[in-house]
Amino acid sequence: MAADDKDKLRKALREIKNLPTLPGIVAKLSKMAENPDTTTAQMGQVIGKDHILAAKLLKLVNSAFYGFPQRISSLSSAIILLGFNVIKSLIISASIFEIMEDQDVELWQHSLGCAVVCNVVAKRMGVSDPEEISTAGLIHDIGKVAVKMELPRQYAEINAIVKERQVPRREAELEVLGLEHAEVGSWLARSWNLPNKLVEPVAFHHDPGKAKEARLAAAIVHFGDIMVRGLGCGHGEDIWVPALNPQAWELLQLTPTAMDEILDEVEEKLWDVRGFSLDIKAELEANLQR
Amino acid sequence: MQQILTAMAAEGMVLAKDIETPEGRVLCGKGTVLTDIVIARLNNMDIQHITVDGHPIPVEGEKSLAEEVADLDRRFSRVTDIKPLMYLKKRLRERLIAARGA
Repeated sequence: MAADDKDKLRKALREIKNLPTLPGIVAKLSKMAENPDTTTAQMGQVIGKDHILAAKLLKLVNSAFYGFPQRISSLSSAIILLGFNVIKSLIISASIFEIMEDQDVELWQHSLGCAVVCNVVAKRMGVSDPEEISTAGLIHDIGKVAVKMELPRQYAEINAIVKERQVPRREAELEVLGLEHAEVGSWLARSWNLPNKLVEPVAFHHDPGKAKEARLAAAIVHFGDIMVRGLGCGHGEDIWVPALNPQAWELLQLTPTAMDEILDEVEEKLWDVRGFSLDIKAELEANLQR
Repeated sequence: MQQILTAMAAEGMVLAKDIETPEGRVLCGKGTVLTDIVIARLNNMDIQHITVDGHPIPVEGEKSLAEEVADLDRRFSRVTDIKPLMYLKKRLRERLIAARGA
């Protein structure tokens, strides 16, 4: 492919016109959080104005996906119990869920599964904000969605190459686009002003040794992707378990017993999140018909 | 384990997971052996799904154990030189077999 063409593709992807943006509420809440005088009640009011977002947030909080021990029934208690950073991760997750759920069910399942593994591993390793790592796991393949929406023709071409030649998706992407979905995903995450703790795991989930600020998060997401593929929640024609990065493995240092326990917990949680959807519309309708 | 419709539950099946009300109250614990009385009660309480040990109900179009194991082999076929991943594969294989047993 000529260098000009690649530049064009890059430009199209960088501009990303067709992908929905994160709701303005994320920026607004970030600003409020910087102000020490902001109260949780004020934050609750801002979130509460968006009924759908508020309902989704509570649904997510109470799902096996995040697995908080007690049931949380109101927004204000969610903010007090979980803290603003967790709530922000949840809002980002809820918004991205929506984009992915509509686009590609199989990718959605893969991402959910990866988020579950990330959560289990992060908690086990005593990371201070396991929810953030779940969110990173959830959005690690967001670049695939961007390619699909912005460049549908090239996306189909990539799929065809993976199917015909049985090569990993990354290889096909490099051939067709000159770049891979992890890089595209990192542009997108940056354009949403997500923190480096989320951007780096997206950017380096195939190559976690390159992460600088979020090395452990990148390693956990890398491993989450591997485990979920091992479990067969892969994506499309590219079914292969990718190679384990030695630097990431050194950070994780999981013993065989630890792997067994993680598998136990992950399988249990995967059962619970199977068919989990944030589509509250269908549910509301079902409730009305009862 | 297998998730089944309560309507397909039969005496002698063993619960693989707690049955909870929507409010999170445990109705019936993991390991309980189902009897007709328990099943009738679950039906009365409008519990639609339960999760039981083994794989008692065949599902149309479902892969056989041999096919599942072959898929697993294929998925791991490009990382056979990476020790931790071979361990992961071995455990996944054992789990597949255990889940289909009984």
